[in-house]
Amino acid sequence: MVNFLFGLETEPLSAQKIFSIGGLGITNAMFFAVITAAFTVGILLVAAQYSQLHPKSRLAYLFELLVDFIWGIAISTFGNRKTALKHLPLLATLFTFILIGNLTGSGLLPGVGTVVVHSGGLTEPLLRPFTTDLNATLAMAILTIGLVQFYAIRQLGLRGHIKHYFASPYWNPMNIFVGLNEVFGELLRIVTLSMRLFGVIYAGEVLIAAVNQLAGNFGWLAMVPTVLMELFFSIIQAYVFMMLSATYLSVALGDEHTGTPEKAKA
Amino acid sequence: MNNVDPALVKGLAIGLGAIGPAIGVGLIGSAAVGAIGRNPEMQGRILSTAFVMAGLVDAVLAFVLLIVFTT
Repeated sequence: MVNFLFGLETEPLSAQKIFSIGGLGITNAMFFAVITAAFTVGILLVAAQYSQLHPKSRLAYLFELLVDFIWGIAISTFGNRKTALKHLPLLATLFTFILIGNLTGSGLLPGVGTVVVHSGGLTEPLLRPFTTDLNATLAMAILTIGLVQFYAIRQLGLRGHIKHYFASPYWNPMNIFVGLNEVFGELLRIVTLSMRLFGVIYAGEVLIAAVNQLAGNFGWLAMVPTVLMELFFSIIQAYVFMMLSATYLSVALGDEHTGTPEKAKA
Repeated sequence: MNNVDPALVKGLAIGLGAIGPAIGVGLIGSAAVGAIGRNPEMQGRILSTAFVMAGLVDAVLAFVLLIVFTT
């Protein structure tokens, strides 16, 4: 199954099914997502093993830099150390997982998309970066927004959390309207979070393939700037996803923070 | 309208869809450069915010590319 764009072959929109376990179809994106997750956990475990006060291992040093970077973002978003420390694991997980998932898709890793498997008479790629599948990004967005709601309810109670949306005279039609708009905006965040990540990474994949085929014999040369641009977008999108999650969390958790609420509207 | 070449429609969609994000990225860049010019010691924070905003704006162009490449 391939799409055709101006007569060029591009990857189809949906992830392809490669095999099924007990009636549950396993797509290549799911398959590669498990591999990516295992790799992420493994490399973080190794880095944690070698981490010490004056790290001699270069890997541990790099990961400490990364965690320190996320820690700085968490502190500047939440405003105090306690809340930041509580939510640091979620943010670090999101960032590293999305970053590694994006980077595998930017044409960096040989074999991704080019190793094929034959199933049911169709030839499908065995590995597909999981952020180029809308199901994966939608799942991550639902999880993030669900966790934001969960933490907000645990922190403020159900009444306090509802007060965030509906201002004090509940019977006022204007307040009801504004509150409904806020609730709708909360649901819309799921859509924007997932569509942004999926759109950028998938369009980048297709763009690389299209440039490669348009340039003919010089595809390898024409791909270089596109791949570099995709590298930049991969890092930026992972950062944006984490930053928006942190901002949503800090806005939902109440008013003892110094975060900037106007950023959360995006 | 029946005999319009789809390639023309796709090209127009990319071209017209790129106008908005291009203006947006330009505005972000000019605002960031102006802000850094005003207080250079805040360069790191301004740049990181500008990159986030550029990422948000680029998503619009990505949607255009997505729709064009998949239809």
